[in-house]
Amino acid sequence: MARKISQGVSRREFVKIAGAGTLAAGMGPAFLYQKGPQKTLKIIQWSHFVPAYDKEWFDTVFTKQWGEKHNTNVIVDHISLTEIPARAAAEVSAQQGHDLCMFLSPPAAYEKQVIDHREIYEEVQRKHGKPIDLAVKSTLNPKTNKYFAFSDSYVPDPGNWRKDLWSDVGYPNGPDNYDQLLDGARKIRQKQGNPCGIGLSQELDTNMAMRALMWSFGASEQDENGNVVINSKNTIEALKFMKQLYKDTETPEVFTWDPSSNNRAMLAGKASFVENAISITREAEVKKMDIGKQIMISHALAGPKARLASEHVMSCYVIWKFAQNKEGAQQFLVDFIDSFHDAFKASGFYNFPCFPSTAPNLKEEISNDPKADPPDKYKVLSDVLDWATNVGHPGYATAAVDEVFNTFVIPTMFAKVARDQETPENAAAAAEKEVKRIFDKWKTA
Amino acid sequence: MAMTNRKLGVLMFSPAIIYVLAVVGVPFVLAFVYAVGDVKIASVGYHYVGLANFRSVLESPTFRRSLYDSIIFTVGTQVVVLVGSTVLSLALKDRFTGRGFIRFLILLPWVAPVSLGTIGWKWILDSIYSVINWVLVHLHFVRPFDTPMWLGEPTLAMISVIGVESWRLLPFSTVILLAGLTAIPRDIPEAAAVDGAGFWRTLFQITIPMILPIVNVAILFGVIFVFTDMTVVYILTRGGPYDTTQVLPSLAFFTGILGSDLAEGAAISIFLVPILVAVAYFMLRVASRAEVG
Repeated sequence: MARKISQGVSRREFVKIAGAGTLAAGMGPAFLYQKGPQKTLKIIQWSHFVPAYDKEWFDTVFTKQWGEKHNTNVIVDHISLTEIPARAAAEVSAQQGHDLCMFLSPPAAYEKQVIDHREIYEEVQRKHGKPIDLAVKSTLNPKTNKYFAFSDSYVPDPGNWRKDLWSDVGYPNGPDNYDQLLDGARKIRQKQGNPCGIGLSQELDTNMAMRALMWSFGASEQDENGNVVINSKNTIEALKFMKQLYKDTETPEVFTWDPSSNNRAMLAGKASFVENAISITREAEVKKMDIGKQIMISHALAGPKARLASEHVMSCYVIWKFAQNKEGAQQFLVDFIDSFHDAFKASGFYNFPCFPSTAPNLKEEISNDPKADPPDKYKVLSDVLDWATNVGHPGYATAAVDEVFNTFVIPTMFAKVARDQETPENAAAAAEKEVKRIFDKWKTA
Repeated sequence: MAMTNRKLGVLMFSPAIIYVLAVVGVPFVLAFVYAVGDVKIASVGYHYVGLANFRSVLESPTFRRSLYDSIIFTVGTQVVVLVGSTVLSLALKDRFTGRGFIRFLILLPWVAPVSLGTIGWKWILDSIYSVINWVLVHLHFVRPFDTPMWLGEPTLAMISVIGVESWRLLPFSTVILLAGLTAIPRDIPEAAAVDGAGFWRTLFQITIPMILPIVNVAILFGVIFVFTDMTVVYILTRGGPYDTTQVLPSLAFFTGILGSDLAEGAAISIFLVPILVAVAYFMLRVASRAEVG
């Protein structure tokens, strides 16, 4: 971590370095990213769903100030969220690119190409306390004990429901569990025509929604030890439920969706309920859309066994082994967490902290948001850690889990049952075969 | 002097050879190497695993579905393109006012970036903002909440991707057929007309047989373009609904890049090779015959 001191140091420089070293030693194992000739730090990350986060804080304030402080030219490149995996693969293949690469789901497959991020966790933990379990399970490989990424934040994945529609069918507080969802959405569909909008497509939101449904029914793709357990009675029950929900409350459009389709369906006044981050309501607030007042946020829905939902986005930064400025990247992440409260505010409460002490008044802040209508619209997210979990739950987010996620095995299983292409039993068995095939491949990787 | 000419020939030809080797040859060899190895997206070593990746791929129902979809997608597109380009080329063969402008419009899909055009189609076929559905609703053919889901129903989705791919390839095929039609000596159809042959008889007994070699070239090029293309499927449906429009190139991408298993992605793409080799063989033979003719 410490940088080499060149042989030709002057007495004055020696005193400066020695002084800084003494100070650093007094502070404990703090990072020593020292000033010198100007350096460059290259970051690649998504174009944030809340544009103000990039335009009004990250690109224009935080990185600028950090760059000035550390005599570093910080270059931030933004790409679409769907392009991140291909870009990361290209950088690894070329062994050059950015110093920091941000993924939106745990990038376990890249473990061999990234540094161990343990030191960053330790440094941040020293300053801000322990990270949440969700962050650890999303970035630690328990077999190698290596942190293959560093997670600064996650995005809750609550329900979004239309107050006017749900009040009209006897649910003024929206659905609280899956039975109420089926009952209320069915009545709305019959009475008003508006369909429910839980996706069944090969995309991010469906991946999250179907996992939430499975977990809430007591099912999962793997157990806590990484054994494939997807073919279970609980999975079959979840499949039967989704089939019923689709037939009674949805239209085939849910098979066409991309990650922003449910946003559009809600903002167009079409859908009665979707599962998504708060980007929908935030967009309505920014654009001052009337429909925004009618869209409410709910907890993850409760199922027969649990009330669980995935995080909508898991922000995971990696530092490549081939990065030109590893020290700068490490220091950047440490300092980023120091300023995380600003990030939390700039994102419009979209990015929740993986180090809770960085937003100590989170509950109060989200309970009284002047931009929201009503101001306590986001209050329900204050207990998000009680119901948010990681992809791969109850185990870790491994490379095999990542491949299952990115090849959409679970959305395909649900979609086939919903369209009567497979029985729930056969679909679960087929998914088990596919998941096992993928898990077996990665055992030897 | 002869030696100098030979050297000059080699010099002039070598950039093309280097380009083909670098852009086609190296990735092609790499795909074979990856397909028999254990290469993951971030692996640092290489181990030979024989045919394990191929066995793994063949076990996957998604792969079998993708192979089937690839064939439907390719054949369906070629049928539409062939009929469409024949009609268009016959219509555009003779001079009429505005012919140049119409030719320009028809060529547009070919010169526009395929991704851009396909994104346009994605909006046209969108589940919420589809202009087609908007028209259907306003003409009271369908109800607002029960519009056709062009990308959500398996059959409609396959028709949609075939339609968009055909839209993209139509100009290419039309230009080729137009070239073929203009090469037919005028006196032959004129003589047929004097003998009393009508439009259809002239078309099926004179025009089509005479342009058949060039039609074959258009088909064979088209097959290669479509069979190896993933852009339209990736942008419009990402292989959905539930893999019913998944084709081999998109599956290779999902598995190799998004799923991080480069070796299996390469193995999937290798399955394209025998088909493409056969097509290329016939393409070259047909082209050769056409040249001789």
